[in-house]
Amino acid sequence: MNKILPLLSSKWMGIISVSTWILAYFIARGILENDQLSDGLRLVVALVPIIPFALFLMSVLAGIRELDELQRRVHLEALAIAFPLTMLLLMSLGLVELVIPLSPDDWSYRHVWQFLPLFYFLGLAFTWRRYQ
Amino acid sequence: MKNRLKVLRAERDWSQADLADKLNVSRQTINAIETGKYDPSLPLAFKIAELFAKKIEEIFIPEKE
Repeated sequence: MNKILPLLSSKWMGIISVSTWILAYFIARGILENDQLSDGLRLVVALVPIIPFALFLMSVLAGIRELDELQRRVHLEALAIAFPLTMLLLMSLGLVELVIPLSPDDWSYRHVWQFLPLFYFLGLAFTWRRYQ
Repeated sequence: MKNRLKVLRAERDWSQADLADKLNVSRQTINAIETGKYDPSLPLAFKIAELFAKKIEEIFIPEKE
């Protein structure tokens, strides 16, 4: 990543790429809700946010390489908390959906994925407290 | 595991941030090691020992079970 943009640290690359990704995601959603475009063009628009997300992923990997051993452990433990919690949420929603029909306007994958970063940041806060 | 990091650091009048810079780790990591909440890896323990010109066992003391 630093070879691509040597003036930017992985932290700033991460902030810029995640901001671009969020912006691209909402712009794409806005465009896709307008069905006047052809299906081919809509498909291209739907896939455009992948590009800034790939940059974000690269900056995350570069950032992880810059962390020290305790910081890496903290992030690993945060992921170890966030991933199963998200799986648990998805599994529970799947089971609940067998009993009560859940509205896709509130509980579709478009909404549920946001719990993964939320659980990750909760995991980070919880894990850092252990080492302070 | 207990350690004498805080004492050795104080003898040299280094702050946690100074030591963190010398070891290329975060200040939080130094704090976690000093308070015994985190045991460093062997490479980091060797680096600490080398910095203070001591043997690892003179800095890190295993707690008896």
